[in-house]
This record gives sequence, structure tokens and C-alpha cells, in this order.
Amino acid sequence: MGIRQLLDKAEPHFHKGGQYERFYALYEAVDTIFYTPPSVTSATSHVRDGIDLKRVMITVWLFTFPAMFFGMYNVGLQANVAIAQGFGDMGGWREAIVMALAGGHNPESIWANFILGATWFVPIYAVTFIVGGFWEVLFAIRRGHEVNEGFFVTSVLFALILPATVPLWQVALGITFGVVIGKEVFGGTGKNFLNPALTGRAFLYFAYPAQLSGDSVWVPADGYSGATALSTAAQGGVDQLVQQTPWINAFLGFIQGSVGETSTLLILLAGVALIWTRIASWRIIAGVFVGMVVTSTLFNLIGSDTNPMFALPWYWHLAIGGFAFGMVFMATDPVSASMTNTGKLIFGALIGFMTVLIRVANPAFPEGIMLAILFANLFAPLIDHFVVQANIKRRQKRLMPSRDEEVA
Amino acid sequence: MAANNSTRKTIIVALSLCVVCSVVVSTAAVALRPIQQQNQELDRKTNILQVANLLQPGQSIAQQFSEITPRVVNLETGEYADNVNPDTYNQLAAAQDPAQSRTLSGADPAGLGRLENYATVYLVGDPENPDEIILPVRGQGLWSLMLGYLALEGDGNTVVGLSYYSQGETPGLGGEVDNPRWKAQWPGKEIYPPGSMDPAIRLVKGGVSSSTPDAEYKVDALSGATLTSNGVTNMLQFWMGERGFANYLARFRDTSQGA
Amino acid sequence: MAKTDTAGRLLTTPIFKNNPIALQILGICSALAVTNSMQTSLVMGLAVIVVTAFSNMFVSLIRHHIPSSIRIIVQMTIIASLVIVVDQVLRAFAYGLSQQLSVFVGLIITNCIVMGRAEAYAMQNGPAMSFLDGIGNGLGYAFILLAVGFFRELLGSGSVFGFTVLPTVNDGGWYVPNGLMLLPPSAFFVIGLLIWAIRSFNPEQVEKNEFNITTNTKTTTEAA
Repeated sequence: MGIRQLLDKAEPHFHKGGQYERFYALYEAVDTIFYTPPSVTSATSHVRDGIDLKRVMITVWLFTFPAMFFGMYNVGLQANVAIAQGFGDMGGWREAIVMALAGGHNPESIWANFILGATWFVPIYAVTFIVGGFWEVLFAIRRGHEVNEGFFVTSVLFALILPATVPLWQVALGITFGVVIGKEVFGGTGKNFLNPALTGRAFLYFAYPAQLSGDSVWVPADGYSGATALSTAAQGGVDQLVQQTPWINAFLGFIQGSVGETSTLLILLAGVALIWTRIASWRIIAGVFVGMVVTSTLFNLIGSDTNPMFALPWYWHLAIGGFAFGMVFMATDPVSASMTNTGKLIFGALIGFMTVLIRVANPAFPEGIMLAILFANLFAPLIDHFVVQANIKRRQKRLMPSRDEEVA
Repeated sequence: MAANNSTRKTIIVALSLCVVCSVVVSTAAVALRPIQQQNQELDRKTNILQVANLLQPGQSIAQQFSEITPRVVNLETGEYADNVNPDTYNQLAAAQDPAQSRTLSGADPAGLGRLENYATVYLVGDPENPDEIILPVRGQGLWSLMLGYLALEGDGNTVVGLSYYSQGETPGLGGEVDNPRWKAQWPGKEIYPPGSMDPAIRLVKGGVSSSTPDAEYKVDALSGATLTSNGVTNMLQFWMGERGFANYLARFRDTSQGA
Repeated sequence: MAKTDTAGRLLTTPIFKNNPIALQILGICSALAVTNSMQTSLVMGLAVIVVTAFSNMFVSLIRHHIPSSIRIIVQMTIIASLVIVVDQVLRAFAYGLSQQLSVFVGLIITNCIVMGRAEAYAMQNGPAMSFLDGIGNGLGYAFILLAVGFFRELLGSGSVFGFTVLPTVNDGGWYVPNGLMLLPPSAFFVIGLLIWAIRSFNPEQVEKNEFNITTNTKTTTEAA
């Protein structure tokens, strides 16, 4: 019980009148990482469970790890393959670390790939965490809130959906926008109607498109330029896509893309675990999946001579462009999604539908899933409203005949 | 106040207000029209001078424009159409007028829909043997119809410059067609390969250096703006092609090769 | 209310205390559309000042003769005529700018600020006061437009009034322009942040909560 005693000893300093009163939020955050919060709801009926918001968030955070580690490996792999083809390395301190730890650019070596990827991803994550954490704590202290572990999830998700070569100052700006505009201006966790990680990503996407999209941002090798699977499909159609990458490669994640979004397999496994632990709603995931399959099949049937995206089958939609990542980790954000059970299905289906629609019909923004989720976030309260109203109406109808009988 | 609401008063107020307002509005419109037309003219001329690299700041536009002769060209035959007055002919308006244009059947790479029968071209220097030929081009980019001018040297083949005076592409990506650094790549590029009137000019991804094969027909695409770049390529392919100015430009090539 | 208004207050209150955009949230659409540069913001601001001031004055002049049944239409006609005149003048004397402002000068007709002031103030007050009120509200509008335009142009193009302040990467400088700032939605963020800033200085502008959330457990345990 060493930690408990230490925390207890420090605690009085953070209470009203103590010398660190203003930093109570920080103390509380550390305390509740190790122990359940001291204050529990005492009023009216309430589910009491060992798994509070904090544990939920940390579980999600842990479940992103497979995709994250694979992502680092994959970034390194892509870069090392490019370097082996004769493209230059990016130089700088990252190259020095790679040389010191891995000794070269051998695409066969898992270690070399991983280290190269890590030198790109770890700084992104560190900046996200420090800058985002700064805002989080600042607002918590100013408003007397508690620091919320939702930020663990926001930060890792935000870092995972960035391209490896994104400039670090843009990372800082993006997470600032995501946390402050996406969440804190509305009152903090629980009151945000948009997913903060995606808000930050969307901000960067529109503000600095040259660094966030295109052909040369995904692989950290000097001068290398290669289209993502999604833009290959948009320009050359399925045939060219299949030529470039076999489907199984895309599914396993050996393709270009944002750091953590490439491996559909690992993300789906995390999804299964999240559903099994009942943290993510299976209704949302199912809704997104079905919505995507139905819409893409519909487009397949309609067909088009000029737009090759019409012909892209659903299993390709699933494997490319971060669809799985959005479906499992982003759409299921409990705060910004619909709350009612029927609403969750509709909410998910809307995401699946919009994703395919944006990918197929909008030539400018291939990243359908990001915009689709933000779009559906806006509709989540409305969906809930209609579901609730429909429930009320149905029950009233049930009530009416009995009343008539009474009168009779 | 009750008297205000009588039908008579209502009608009188409404009528007199209408009369006063319409007089004011029409006076303003009529009195200012000459100045507005002058402005429009000046704007168009400035654009043309700009693309031809002739614009000298500080000098009067009208004087500089005296070097330039507008002519109207029949796109189908490539002949000058002397029955159309180049000073009053409005090419963009003609494209919307069924009497002066036709629907584009078949491939329509520039996304125009309708093509006018006549186009206004601008000749710099001696109209019979011009130093530069300035051609209007337009086509769909990603979001918008892009309107611009392409200036060629007297051989009807070498590019002097390409510049857009109206476009609504994504700022920072497709909008970079206005960037002087991008535009600086154009001078010296060639439209047609030797002995052919099939335009070879296009934008390519990944940069163009002197070692690139056929570099004289290639211009670096706008980075991150594939669709705007495609739009620029398509528009040049169309306007330099057979349905565009190819027939007209052929005469310059013949005369220059003959000389 | 008319008796207590002084000329000075009529001019200054709408700028900070009762700003038509920041407090009344009127006239947002044009504020989104024309604020990507300071120059267009300035011209748009001036145009609105002129239209609001004169429409207020004319409406006030004939306010005793306007039948209440057609008063909105009468106001609209006056405003519309003024807007057309302003549009024509701009086209004649500031052609380039009027091209950039395109339809938005014409759309001043639908700007709720103009209409709102005519209905709310000019119908009850004398022409001189109404004229000043129009100028004041126009100034409030122009102030927000210029502020938004300043941030959007500075961050989006690296310049202020067309003069380069932050040399951009594309021109060989160091500043990477923020493309979002050139797109209309960014004005929402900028206006929102401005409102936040204004209300931090003037807390009386903050609306009351529509409902109160029960106090959090931290304070209840302390009270216990």
C-alpha cells in the first residue's frame, strides 16, 4: 500500500486551503489511476461497477496498441523498401537514431523497420500527449473539473491517424484544435458533440492539405511518392489497385497510409475484444459495416463508365482508407455517438453510407470515413430524439385502447 | 396613425415610394454604366497583357493594348471571320446562345457542354505576322470553370505563358495555378510535336527536369491537386485540339516552316 | 429610450457592448463569405455602414407616413434601392473589389442588421439619431469583419491588407499558410473565438444557463 500512503500524505495539500489547491485536478488524476475514486454517486438508483470511465478509456487505449506497433513497423517497412529501391533517407536526428539502434535500412529486418517507424511515430505521439495534455490540465484546473482519461484515447487515436511525415508543429496545432475547439469550448468530456481526435485531424486536413494528403506524405523516404490504395482506386479503378497490392496485403496492413490505420486485421481483432468487453457498442460497428456493404454493393450494381470508384467491391472498401479504424475506434466514441440502441444502428449505418458516398462521389476528399463520422456525430442527438419520440408514441398507442375500454 | 392605414394612403405611399426609388436606381445605373463598361474593358485588357508578359506597371493600359489586335476566328475552319466585330463579340455569352454555339457531342474533356462557333484571339504586333498569339481557354477544374488565356509565340507552338483570370479551386492546392512560381514553368514549353497538330502538352506528376524525356511538352503538376491538374491538361488538350484552335494555329506553323 | 441616447453612445455601444454580430448573431452569412482578406472586409464594412445609415435615415424621415400594414415592404424597398446604388457605385469606382465581393454586396439587402435597425430603431426615432444609429451598427459589423479578416488573411495568406507580413513557403519564405483560413467555415471559428474573448471581458453578455446541472460530487463530499 505504499502508493496509497504516499497519495494520502500528499492529499491535504491539494484540498481547499492547501498550498497546491489549484492543482487538485492533477492530484485527482494520479490518484484515480491507481485507485477507484473516493466519491461515488449516492443519490437514486445507479449502476455501480468496478469498471468506471477511467478503466474503460484505459482499456480502449491498450487495445490500440497492436495497431500502433504494427503501424510503426509498417511505416519503417515501407520506408526501408523505398530506400532499398534507391530513394534517399530523410536524414537528421531520426536517421542518427536509426543508425545507432538498427545499423541500417534492411527491409528484411523487423527490428530495423520498427525502429525507423518509431522514430517517426513516437515524436508525433509525444507532442500530441504533451500539448493536448497541457490544454486538458489547464481547462481542468481553470474550471475545477477532473482530468479525464478520455484524453488517453483521444491522444492515441489522433496520433494514429496522422501520416508519419507530418510536421510536429502541425501535430501540436491539430491536437490543440481538437481538444480546445472540439471539446473544451463545449464544456469538456461528455459535452462535446464531435469526436475530438477527428476534429483535430479534419482541421489539419483542411488547413494543411499538402502535408496531410497526397502521394508523398505517407512514407518517410526522400523524394518517394506513391499513391495510397484509395487514390489508386479512385484514379485507376479496381484492376490497377489489385495489380499494385493484393487484397490480402491491404487487409493485413502492408500498404501506405496513416500510421495506425493500415492493418484491418489487427483493428478488427481489437474490435472483437472491445465488443467482448462490452466497451464498444456492437450496434454501431454492425451499423457502419452493413451501411458500407449495402451502399457499395448498390454502387457496384449501378456502375459507371467514367468513375472507377463505382466498381469497388465492399471488401476493398473495408480494407483501405482507414475504414476499419474509423469503424472500430472512432465511430464507437460513446460521447459523440447516439445513445439509444436503435439510434446506434441508424448512426452506424449513416456513417457506412456516407463513407462510401464520399469516397465514390466526391473527387476531392478521398478520406470518406473521417468526414462521414464527423457528419454522423452532428446527427447523433437528432437520431436519438426521433428514436425517443417514436418510443413515446408507440407506448401512447398501447395506452390508448385500454383507456377506451375504461370509458366503454 | 389610423389615417396612415387607410387604403388610399397605403396606395399613395407605396406608389410614390416606388417612383422615387426607381428613379434613383435607374439614374445610378444609367449614369454609371459608361464607367462600368470601361472598367470591364480595362480588366479584360489587363488580363490579356498580363498573360502576354507585356504589362508594364505605371503605363496606361489603353496605350499598351494598342499593340494588340483582336480578331475573331471561326473555330471550325480556322479562318478569320470578318463578318463578326471583335470589339463587340462576347465569346462567353455566345457559348450560351444556341444560335452561336453547338452542343459538344462525344468526348468533352474540358467539361464545357457547349462550344461557340467563333472565338476572339489577340495578336501582338503585326496582325499578319504576329509576335505573340493570345488564345482564350477555359475548362472545368475540380470545383469551378477555370477561365484563362494561353499566350503562344508567333510560331503558334511555343508557350509564352498561361494564366487564369477566374477560378475557384482549393486555396493552397488547385488555387496554386495562380502562383507565379508554377506559372514560371510554362514559357518555352511546346504544344505540338514536330509535324503533328495533335497536342502533346500535359501536366505530369513528380516534377519535370531537363533530363525528363519529352520535357518540352511536360509541365510539373500542381502538388496535391490531381483533379485541378487534370483539368488544366484536359482544357489544353481540348483547346489546342481539332475542335479548338488547331485548325487556326496550323496556318502559323505552315508559314513559319515555309519561311 | 430615445431621449437618453446620446450621439456618442449611439456610435460606440454597438461596437463592443451590443455588437450586431457578436451579441445579436446577425449578418453572419456575409461575414463568412467576404472576410478572407482585409480589403474586401473593409469595403464590405463600408458598404454596410452606408446602407444602414441611409436606410435608417430615410425610414425615419417618412416613419409618420408609413402604413403599418406595408411597413416591412417599404423598408425593404428603401434598403434594396440603396444597395443597388452602392453596388453600381462600387462597380464604377472599385471594379476589382466589386468583382471579389461579387453577389455579397447585393446580398446586403438580406442582411438582418439593416432591416433590424430600420424596424427597431428608425421607426421610433428622429432622422439624425437614426442616421447615427445606422453608422454605429454598421461600425459594429465592420469591426467584426475587419477583426475576422485580419486573422483570416494573416493566417491564411501571411499578409495584412495585401502587404506580406509572414512570407509564405510558396514564395520562398518560412510561413506555411493555413488553408482552412481561406475557406469560409473558418470564419465561424474566428467569430466564435471573438465572441468568447468579448464575453470574457463583458461577462454580462453571457446568457443564463437554460438549466442547472447538479453540483458535482467533489463539492458535495466536501460539504458533508
